[in-house]
Amino acid sequence: MVAAVNRVTQNLVLTLLGCAVLRISAFSTTYLNYVKPGFRPFLIGAGAVLVILGVAGLLQASRSKESPAGDEAHGRDHAPEKPAHAGATGEHAHDHATGEHAREHGDGQERHAHGHAHGGPRVAWLMCLPVFAIFLVAPPALGSFAAARDDTPPPREEVLSAFTPLSGDGPVDMQIGEFIGRAWDDEKKSLTGREVRLTGFVVPAKKKGQWYVTRMQIACCAADAFPLKVAVKDLPAPPADTWVEVTGTWIPQDFGKMPNGVVYPQMAGKSLTRIEAPDEPYE
Amino acid sequence: MRRMPELRTDQQSAWADEESPLPPDSWGRASSPRRALPWGFALVIVLLVVGRFTLTPYLTAPALQTWATIFVAICVQALPFLVFGVALSAAITAFVPASFWTKALPRSPAAAVPVAGVAGAVLPGCECASVPVASGLMSRGVTPAAALAFLLASPAINPVVLIATAVAFPGQPLMVLARFGASLVVAVLVGWLWLRFGRSEWLRIPARPPGDGPKWVQFGEAMRHDLLHAGGFLIVGGLAAATLNVTVPREWLTAIAEVPWLAILVMALLAVLLSICSEADAFVAASMTAFSPTAKLAFLVVGPMVDLKLIALQIGTFGKAFAFRFVPLTFTLAVLVSALTGWLLL
Repeated sequence: MVAAVNRVTQNLVLTLLGCAVLRISAFSTTYLNYVKPGFRPFLIGAGAVLVILGVAGLLQASRSKESPAGDEAHGRDHAPEKPAHAGATGEHAHDHATGEHAREHGDGQERHAHGHAHGGPRVAWLMCLPVFAIFLVAPPALGSFAAARDDTPPPREEVLSAFTPLSGDGPVDMQIGEFIGRAWDDEKKSLTGREVRLTGFVVPAKKKGQWYVTRMQIACCAADAFPLKVAVKDLPAPPADTWVEVTGTWIPQDFGKMPNGVVYPQMAGKSLTRIEAPDEPYE
Repeated sequence: MRRMPELRTDQQSAWADEESPLPPDSWGRASSPRRALPWGFALVIVLLVVGRFTLTPYLTAPALQTWATIFVAICVQALPFLVFGVALSAAITAFVPASFWTKALPRSPAAAVPVAGVAGAVLPGCECASVPVASGLMSRGVTPAAALAFLLASPAINPVVLIATAVAFPGQPLMVLARFGASLVVAVLVGWLWLRFGRSEWLRIPARPPGDGPKWVQFGEAMRHDLLHAGGFLIVGGLAAATLNVTVPREWLTAIAEVPWLAILVMALLAVLLSICSEADAFVAASMTAFSPTAKLAFLVVGPMVDLKLIALQIGTFGKAFAFRFVPLTFTLAVLVSALTGWLLL
C-alpha cells in the first residue's frame, strides 16, 4: 500500500531523518556546509527529538500490534473529544464533531476513513528526500559555481566601524570580508603597503590576468550566501574551487565616483599555497 | 485523559498506570512482524545503500551540487524551528486547557485579533514555528482570525528578529520600527478581514489524534502528527525555493531596481521565492544595496508572512481552500502597507 504511510513506516521515516540530522551535526562537521556554527546545538536537539519520537512511536506501534483492536479504538475515541473545543468559540461552528474528522487528516486521506486514525499523509514520504540528498549527493559547501552566479554587493557608502591599525611584522592573516571593508571604507587606508594573507577558494575571472580568491558569507544558512571576492593579479590562476592561501598587497584603486557595476578590490599576489578545504567554509 | 481499560492488554495498562517515561523492555521484542510490514521504507533503505555505491560518483555536476546544498541548507535550517514550533503546539494541545485561551483573550473576536497579533512578539522563532503553533491554538478553540494574526505577526515582530534587523541595518533604527509597525498592521488587518469575510469551510482546522494515555503520550502523539504533516510540506517548499534560488540570476533583479514601484514589487516577490528564514532575511535585504529602503522594507514585511515554504506548510496544515485565499490577501496587504509605511517613515 503506497497511499497512507502506516504507523511503523512513519516512525521509521522520523527516525531516519533524525539520524541523518545527527549524522551531519553531532558526528561530523558537515553541517558547517549548510548553516552557521552556532546552529549545532539546535540541530543536535532537533535530531535527538526526531529519533526519540520515532523510536518511542515504534515501541508503541509494536504494542498496538499485539492488540489488533487498538487501532479501531483510537478511531472511535476521536468523537467524544471534539465538542469540547467546537463549542469553545462558536466561530468554527461547522460540525466536525462526528465521523467527519477523517477528512481532516491531510490531502488524499479522505478515502481512508477509519483504522487510519494514525496514518500519516503521503507527503510525509518527502521527508526522505533530504536524507537522500545528504547521503547520495553529499552536498559540499558552495563553491565557484555559486560564487560566479552572484555578485558581491557593491561597497557600502557609510564607514562601518573604525578599523584598528594593523600591527606586527610580516603578512597579516585577514578574513576576506575585512579586507574588502578596509579596502573600500577605511579612511586611513591601513592596508597600504601591508602584506596580507587571505584564505579562500579560487573563482576564475572573465578578465585576463586575474582571478578571484573567494569566500562565501552566510547570515543564517547557505540559501542566503553571497560571495566575497578579491581580485588577485600577478599570479597564475589555480584550477577553480582549489582552496588557497594567497599572500600579497592591496592595489589601491581611486575612483572619482563609484563606477557602474560591481568592482572588486585588487591584490598584487606574491605567493600562493594550496590548502585543504577548511571545516568552516563560510565567513 | 480517558483510558480504555477494556481494550488494553496487561502490558498497556502497566505503562499507563506507572507513568514511567519509558515503556518496559519487553515491548517491541515479543511483537511479531506479521502486520504492517514497512515495505516502502525497506525500499528507501535499499535505494540509499545501493545508490551510495552506484549513483554517488555520478552526482557531481556543480549545478546539482549547488542545488542540493541549498536544498539541504533550507531544510536543515528550518528543521529545529519546526520541531520547536511543533513541540510548543503539542504542549498547547496536551497541557494547556482550552479554557485558558477563552480567559486569556478578549471575548469579542474583533478585540482578540490585535491582542493575538501583539502576543506574537513573545514567540522567539521564525515562520516555520508559527504555523504549527497557530494550528494548535485553533484546535484549542482560539478564534481562527486571532490565531491567523498571531501566525502572521510572530515571525516578524519577535525580539530575535528585531535585533537581527537592527544589526543588519546599523544606524537605521527607523527600519526596525517600520518593520515592526508594518508587520503588525498587516497581521491585524488580515485578521479582521478574515473575521469579517472569511468562511469557516475554507479553513480546515487540523484535527489532532486525541491521545488516550497519560499526558506525555498525547504530547508525543500530537508532535508526531504535526511533524508528519508539516514536515513533508516544508520539504516541498525547500525544493521550490532551492530550485528558484539556483535558476534565477540575480542580475535580472538589479536591472529592475531603478523603477521605484517595480522595485517594491520585485523585492516582495523575491522574498516569496527565496524563502529565507525571518531571522536572516534582514542581512539579505541589507546586502541588496541597489534597492530603495522602501523596497527593502517590503522584502522584510512580506518574507515572514508569505514565502514558498510557508505556502506549502499552510496548504498542508490548513488546506488548499484556505491558502489560495489567505496567501494573495496577505501578499497584497503586505505590499501596500509596506509601501505606505516606507513613504511615511523611510
